[in-house]
Amino acid sequence: MTTLLYTHPACLEHDTGFGHPECPARLTAILNVLRRSPFAALEWRDAPAAEIAQLTRIHPQAHVERLLAQVPRQGHHAIDGDTILSPGSGEAALRAAGAACAAVDAVLNGEANNAFCAIRPPGHHAEPRQAMGFCLFGNTAIGAAHARAAHGLERVAIIDFDVHHGNGTQAAVEQDAGYLYISTHQAHIYPGTGRRNECGVGNIVNLPLMANSGSADLRHVWRQDIEPALREFQPQLIVISAGFDAHYLDPLAELNFNEDDYAWLTGQILAVAADYCEGRVVSLLEGGYNLPALATSVAAHVKALMEAPKAAQRSLVKNILERQKAKRNAAGL
Amino acid sequence: MYEFLQYQVRDAMTADPIAIGPDATLREVEALFEAHDFNGVPVVDGHHHLIGVLTKFDLLKAFSFDSHTLVPHYDQIMEQPAEAVMTRDPVSVDQHLPLSRLLQKLVEMHTKSLPVVDNGRLVGIIAREDVLKALRRATLQHELPVHAESSP
Repeated sequence: MTTLLYTHPACLEHDTGFGHPECPARLTAILNVLRRSPFAALEWRDAPAAEIAQLTRIHPQAHVERLLAQVPRQGHHAIDGDTILSPGSGEAALRAAGAACAAVDAVLNGEANNAFCAIRPPGHHAEPRQAMGFCLFGNTAIGAAHARAAHGLERVAIIDFDVHHGNGTQAAVEQDAGYLYISTHQAHIYPGTGRRNECGVGNIVNLPLMANSGSADLRHVWRQDIEPALREFQPQLIVISAGFDAHYLDPLAELNFNEDDYAWLTGQILAVAADYCEGRVVSLLEGGYNLPALATSVAAHVKALMEAPKAAQRSLVKNILERQKAKRNAAGL
Repeated sequence: MYEFLQYQVRDAMTADPIAIGPDATLREVEALFEAHDFNGVPVVDGHHHLIGVLTKFDLLKAFSFDSHTLVPHYDQIMEQPAEAVMTRDPVSVDQHLPLSRLLQKLVEMHTKSLPVVDNGRLVGIIAREDVLKALRRATLQHELPVHAESSP
């Protein structure tokens, strides 16, 4: 089974203006790495543009229309100090959300184990009625909603390891127990949400980390909070909001993850996916603003996705061993 | 060193220092720092009462990560008034405080300077350099060489 890579040249045409950290060069850096030989087995696919009906599962139609109407014919339009539109932004945003839906379709139709969407603009800050924080449409929430609506899934888990809290994704899913949203993020920075006491209907797990938290802290919250919550939920699909700005070289925050952490975390997520949903994982690019660190971190993440079958096998072996152990215990041995 | 013990803050401070009002912009404050090599500047009200202190640290702090924007915006931040970022109710010292005690305060607080007040009105600034200069002055003529002290 393969790993799919969804991307589209239109995602390079979303121009945020001179010096903006969420720049086309991010995607170029990522794609340059993924074209190298260790990734030869990736199956590249063009991201289709999302249909409006896919967006309106999350965003009111009027908001979608207003946002697309704000896309300028030339120059730039600032939605806020961080969030900039250029003439190419409309198509880029539609392709980004479309990639999420297409990747969900492919993985749920059994065309691949998992998929990574190398897309921009990112999506997890985009609230149902407000584009913000570099994000236009809520790609992750749109992909997760597509899995529910178009494929009839009852339980979709979302794991968001971007350094910023995914306020938009949370807002989109917090009233629906068919979603589980788990986020690690740095406390007290943008966007200010993501406190532990924001629980939705018991389906939101926020894990704010203090500045300078690193590998050990990530492993701690995985064991303490993330893995138990995921296993209790028994997801039928896991969607990842894959931001790489918790890397120790990132200029927008102060967490200290590294490439090995991203590979490890991805492996852990895949092992849970192997246990509950035949390894079905769809991962979407969010942030990450140090270009070399972004490229190497994405490489580590995608490499782990491609090695998923091995992880699944390991998990299967572990399951068999555990079942044998349980049997022995039951037999009083 | 005995003479140093006689000094009060007013003997060593810079009197009538430059101060700003609460509505001075951060841009103006930075220009002031640039021109005078100050580390901080006192903020006073219309009656010259001390209401705050604004240091380079406060300027840096205005640019630190917060929950409002992903990237801080230079022009927007530099147009803010001093009162938005200054330290309110700052520690100040009375002009009659013994300089030895002031030295102790600077060490304990790791601070570079303190405003000096007389009944709440700003009358001076006392900085690390002022205290070092006073130490030098107090000992220049009067301190006996070590070897002379030990001989009978």
